[in-house]
Amino acid sequence: MEIWRSHVLVCAGAGCVSSGCREVRDALVQGIMEFGLQGEVKVIETGCIGSCDLGPIAVVYPEGVFYQKLKAEDARVITEEHLLKGRVVERLLYAEPATTKLIPTFKEIDFFKLQEKIVLRNCGLIDPMNIEEYISREGYESLAQALSRMTPQEVVDVVQRSGLRGRGGAGFPTGTKWRFTQQAQGSPKYVICNADEGDPGAFMDRSVLEGDPHSVIEAMAIAGYAIGSNQGYVYVRAEYPLAIERLSHAIEQARQYKFLGRNIFETAFDFDLEIRIGAGAFVCGEETALMTSIEGKRGEPRPRPPFPAVAGLWKKPTLLNNVETYASIPPIILKGPEWYSQFGTGGSRGTKVFALAGNINNAGLVEIPMGTSLGKLIYDVGGGIKGGKKFKAAQIGGPSGGCIPKEHLNISLDYESVKDVGAIMGSGGLIVMDENTCMVDLARFFMDFIQDESCGKCPPCRIGSKRMLEILQRITQGQGQPGDIDQLIELGERIRESALCGLGQTAPNPILSTLRFFRDEYEEHIKQKHCRAGVCQALFDAPCQNACPADNNAWGYITLISEGKFKEAIAVIKERNPFPATMGRICFHPCEVKCRREQVESPVAICALKRFAADYDLESNDPHIPEVAPKKSEKVAVVGAGPAGLSAAYFLGLKGYPITIFEALPVAGGMMTVGIPEYRLPRKVLQDEIDDILKLGVELKLNSPVTDVEALKTQGYRAVFVATGAHKGLKLGLAGERLKGVLDGVSFLRDVNLGKPVKVGERVAVIGGGNVAIDAARTALRLGAKEVQIFYRRLREDMPAADWEIAEAENEGVKIHYLVAPAQMWGGNGGVKRMECRRMVLSDFDKSGRKRPVPITGSEFEIDVDTVIAAIGQVPDTGSFKGNGFKFDSSGAFIVNPESLATRSPGVFAGGDSVRGPASAVEAIADGQKVAMSIDKLLGGDGSLPNAYRDRLKEMKVSYDEEAYAEERSRVPLPEAPLSDRYHNFKEVEMGYTTRFAVEEAKRCLHCYRQE
Amino acid sequence: MAMVGLTIDGNKVKVPEGTTILEAAKSANIRIPTLCYLPEVQAIGACRVCLVEIDGNRSLQASCVFPATEGLVVHTNSEKVQQARKFTVELLLSAHPQECLTCARNLKCELQRLAEEMGIREVRFPGAKPEPRIDESTTSIRRDSSKCILCRRCVTVCQEIQQVGALSAQERGFDTYIGPAFGDDLGETACALCGQCINVCPVGALTEKDYTQEVWKAIHDPDKIVVAQDAPAVRAALGEEFGLPPGTLVTGKMLEALRRLGFDIVFDTNFAADLTIIEEGNELLKRVKDGGTLPMITSCSPGWIKFIEHFYPQLLPHLSTCKSPHQMLGALTKTYYAQKAGVDPAKMVTVSIMPCTAKKFECNRPEMRDSGFQDVDYVLTTRELARMIKTAGIDFVNLPDGKYDDPLGEYTGAATIFGATGGVMEAALRTAYEVATGKKLENVDFAAVRGLEGVKEAAVAVDGLGEVRVALAHGLGNAKKLMDRLASGKANYHFIEVMACPGGCVAGGGQPMPVNNEVRRLRAQALYQEDKKLKYRKSHENPSITKIYQEFLKEPLGEKSHHLLHTKYTKRGKYKEH
Repeated sequence: MEIWRSHVLVCAGAGCVSSGCREVRDALVQGIMEFGLQGEVKVIETGCIGSCDLGPIAVVYPEGVFYQKLKAEDARVITEEHLLKGRVVERLLYAEPATTKLIPTFKEIDFFKLQEKIVLRNCGLIDPMNIEEYISREGYESLAQALSRMTPQEVVDVVQRSGLRGRGGAGFPTGTKWRFTQQAQGSPKYVICNADEGDPGAFMDRSVLEGDPHSVIEAMAIAGYAIGSNQGYVYVRAEYPLAIERLSHAIEQARQYKFLGRNIFETAFDFDLEIRIGAGAFVCGEETALMTSIEGKRGEPRPRPPFPAVAGLWKKPTLLNNVETYASIPPIILKGPEWYSQFGTGGSRGTKVFALAGNINNAGLVEIPMGTSLGKLIYDVGGGIKGGKKFKAAQIGGPSGGCIPKEHLNISLDYESVKDVGAIMGSGGLIVMDENTCMVDLARFFMDFIQDESCGKCPPCRIGSKRMLEILQRITQGQGQPGDIDQLIELGERIRESALCGLGQTAPNPILSTLRFFRDEYEEHIKQKHCRAGVCQALFDAPCQNACPADNNAWGYITLISEGKFKEAIAVIKERNPFPATMGRICFHPCEVKCRREQVESPVAICALKRFAADYDLESNDPHIPEVAPKKSEKVAVVGAGPAGLSAAYFLGLKGYPITIFEALPVAGGMMTVGIPEYRLPRKVLQDEIDDILKLGVELKLNSPVTDVEALKTQGYRAVFVATGAHKGLKLGLAGERLKGVLDGVSFLRDVNLGKPVKVGERVAVIGGGNVAIDAARTALRLGAKEVQIFYRRLREDMPAADWEIAEAENEGVKIHYLVAPAQMWGGNGGVKRMECRRMVLSDFDKSGRKRPVPITGSEFEIDVDTVIAAIGQVPDTGSFKGNGFKFDSSGAFIVNPESLATRSPGVFAGGDSVRGPASAVEAIADGQKVAMSIDKLLGGDGSLPNAYRDRLKEMKVSYDEEAYAEERSRVPLPEAPLSDRYHNFKEVEMGYTTRFAVEEAKRCLHCYRQE
Repeated sequence: MAMVGLTIDGNKVKVPEGTTILEAAKSANIRIPTLCYLPEVQAIGACRVCLVEIDGNRSLQASCVFPATEGLVVHTNSEKVQQARKFTVELLLSAHPQECLTCARNLKCELQRLAEEMGIREVRFPGAKPEPRIDESTTSIRRDSSKCILCRRCVTVCQEIQQVGALSAQERGFDTYIGPAFGDDLGETACALCGQCINVCPVGALTEKDYTQEVWKAIHDPDKIVVAQDAPAVRAALGEEFGLPPGTLVTGKMLEALRRLGFDIVFDTNFAADLTIIEEGNELLKRVKDGGTLPMITSCSPGWIKFIEHFYPQLLPHLSTCKSPHQMLGALTKTYYAQKAGVDPAKMVTVSIMPCTAKKFECNRPEMRDSGFQDVDYVLTTRELARMIKTAGIDFVNLPDGKYDDPLGEYTGAATIFGATGGVMEAALRTAYEVATGKKLENVDFAAVRGLEGVKEAAVAVDGLGEVRVALAHGLGNAKKLMDRLASGKANYHFIEVMACPGGCVAGGGQPMPVNNEVRRLRAQALYQEDKKLKYRKSHENPSITKIYQEFLKEPLGEKSHHLLHTKYTKRGKYKEH
């Protein structure tokens, strides 16, 4: 045998072949020749290694260094640096997505480390075209053992005792199936391997056939011996040419080595295999349809009973398992059923191969023990969600399966648990979906697939699935009708119980399953014609506007800015937003997350462009005021002059209503004034915008708290809007909280913003991870603290604060400690002195889909502090409103009708943070709009918002070369104040665009609202 | 046979092992509605109408295929079952044109009946309907896929019973339709046009090409002399269209009805059947004597002729060159009769009332114009005739008996049994025996060639000829078996009778529905009874036959016969070139 210093294994699964591994291999071989290493290093093509999104991949042994995303030119570098000089090429290593840490070897990568490879034991390790390599890994020893030392009955017993269940989907106990077929009367008998893997995104069977074909051949021969069959068929879909090629080659080799054919191992047992190529019908994965297809007929299912074990192929007893099931057999025979059943859970033994796909960092093939949690699979093995987005749900079991939402991340992946949440294990396709997935559209996609693939034999599947699709199409196109959901449920349940085969019976699963967990999204599509994920194009003009809670027409004003029509741009903005200059600074701009430009390089700077238009307008000395309707007589009262209250006043003012705002504080603006530090929002900007609202005939009464809403009604106010915000900071609930120097975040910021003399010490600890925590930290720094540290009990990616705010805080010198929580505080009369903290570890998942932090015993440590700011959340302070017929939730928030925001008290509405709890300004504006329209309707108006520009804008032509601007071109950066300018003052940090830059940036808009 | 006990709707039922739940329920007088199921044809569990609930089974099960096993507890009428069945029928209706009032199957439609039985008053799941594909490419069969409910009965009858395979499921999902492969029309396939698919279609997706309007037009044209003839099988089935039980012989009422419809002359195809026996018998004797191609195969079933032309063109020399009886009669009507009656054959319109759809094709064959005109202008099926009778408002059941016209109306019992499988053979044997031996045949009933067994064989000792070996097949699948043996040289017969339709013409593709073995048996019985009652029971005894040879044809296989009564065949392929 030849001895090699190094082996370079190049993954040659179909995924890597299509991403160019063959070029890489050729370049490696050439490089090796050039450096004269041909006697020392051997290059081998293996089957799928699993991490398909990293391909082409090469692993250099004996070190096991894992190189990824290779190009042909990289091969030379690897040859020279690694193979010749022994230096690992760092730039080609794998970087962990969450930490960006480089991980040199295969075994250290979580993706591989956490797997348990039984089915895939040889994939990526051996050359599938060489039977000797399979033999060297205990290949065909199981067959030898079965034939020479076991009776057929013993083989069946071992399979039964292993607890193996069919990996094709339904999970029928494999041993039982073997026993039925063994006991069935009739001759000849057949063994069939189902390799008609059709679930979108699933490719485990393909990988086994491509990477380890002999494992299936060996298992089928064992099965033949066990049930008394001499002929097997492997039914492979025609779309798997590489699998067919390698399997054909392997069958030929097995015949040459006499592992197939007559008198195998001289035991007088004969067995041979033939490949049957399917023509690409999804239904042929159903066993009876598959057999009908092998018989040469149109692949349509037939009723069971009789089951294949009794009357299968050509009405003879037939054993039918899928590739993954067979590939599990040889190790079970060799190592024993007890060894196998140690993996997995009570009812689901062994391992399961999953094909991870969708919005996940480590897409590819993984094999894990049954019972591993979904969260572990997605976050630890799969590396989490792509682009740091939020996990929404995972579709498991392909088009016949169901979805598992974030509330169930702790679910154990086994047959029973998955079934309990309305999904099925299926063949193991696992599509991970982030917040940008529309669940209704997802259901539509799967239904479209299934109804297309229905064989057409029975009406429930043929017509019923079409009817379901039609309803889903209607809903996603904005034509949903009341009753559609009930119809979907009825159709789904009837199809389930009456369709002929498994395909039909499971066809409604994706719909019933998404309805179970995401019914609100269906209702939103039907009632509000809104698709929160921004997927259903017919429901909106552009995703930016769709993503805006306040329905700001971003595409419209950006197009106007690109044409230099700044005044018109502000007119468009002011149709929905009374605070453009403010929001242009502080909005968390969900619009940008959905901007289609992100697919080119980065989203258009929508928020900054709004600010540009607004600043331009404010500076023009003639700020735009929309048309105001003639004065009306019905008086309306607004309680609270925050963004919600002021917005409601603005929109009602435009309608001509006389408004009075009652504000408890001495200033207007609510959280915009008392919550947001001035360095983010200069007071003058906000005040100018408030003044413009007051010009609409709005009366503002400061220092006027309202507790009795009924009294307002008796004073002649026809409607009242309560928008008192959420200003009550939550307590830590820890010992020492009453010490001097322990503050709550919202009160701290409020006092600072109201100009009260607030002192912080030198060593400030901020507890929490939200925007208040960040603002408090940065404010403390500006008030003169020497050291500001944030303690957060989870990880940075879990922080609710905006990413750029966190970055700015770090930039300014705030230290952030993750996975740390305070335990208690000590001090004396002088105030707090020390704080005890505990380190946390993340364990299972909570309902929000985040990992739950739990303290590590014995991890306590102490730090010196003189100020502690607890910014762990705030709640509405609605205590004084009780007794007016209002209803409140446990946090004290008003309970209102979500459509109209009406409270239980007639004519009284509530919105903003006093309903939502701490939320954003743009959501408060949205509530202001909604309430204004509800009140308008109540008082006899049409309840419509101004919308004078949309139709014209949709037709608007631009004067520049759009195609040139569609080319990759990065976002125009915003100027910022230098760090040196930021200490001990509250000067604005972020500056606006100049006119030239604003126009340039606006031209980056792809005009996707033109849906040709 | 082992028996199993099960409970159906609370009733204990014992049935032989292998019985389906549907049959078991039937034995307990529990009727389960069905749609795709058709006894003797198919049980595939496709339509989901016969669903039942079985304790321990998650989903509902199709009772037409689910085997009765010991201890099963079955509910055929639970709420779940009722809802599921109704749901399925509603879905079918949602994809159906629902043009019942103008449909050929109005009031005779199985889907309509189910909807009525289930009390469906609205279709709750409206939506798209399949793309209509109307196929009028053949002279015989009209296909309208928009009405098709994909029950597959036609597919099974065509593929498994007739083994022609012209129809199968195409496309997938909602776009699935039944039709020839590659989107071809029926006229581009090897379809025999036997019409058996029509007979099993539960709805109006498959119908005969209707020529009643053309015939009405001819009747209403004062310049035309419209001559009708009717095949023996028609009289044994027509009554069923008017509520009479299967097997009621309505020869006299039919003749009266034809007169009242306005046909000027009514002849009987049976006359030509007797003529066929004379011509064909002589042809067989000639082949035996001269060492011609044997066995000789009958040629009176046009579906069979088209089938052999497509599938066994190499065996065409075995076919008798005799035209089918109605074509002989058509040719004689426009020559012999026209001459005799002194009418202009150009003004004659000949209409054959047939149990057959393939005859619509046959009469249009270019070979069938030996009279100088198209010998038979129109072929109407039994069903079309019934439709005309209904249109005319004739009270069929209470009609007096009418009579055939001379000279082409007289017939023997041998001719009338042509309508049942074995009839042609039996008629031929009656004549052949007497002609060959010169002796009188005392027992004219040849029981061995009667009955519904698919392939029958018999040997008859005939003095002077030795043993005459004959074989018979009815249904093209059976014919195929026989032809395969013949093609491989394993069929040592003198004479073979083949009928395209199972049971022969009594169960032809143009006959009243439903057709099943019991109906086949009763209709055949009616013909055998008429045979028994007739004065003459051997074709050569028919005085009108003797007369036509004297006056016109001169001799069997003579020049006139050759010209008017014999034909030739065309080789056809199995597939269209794609």
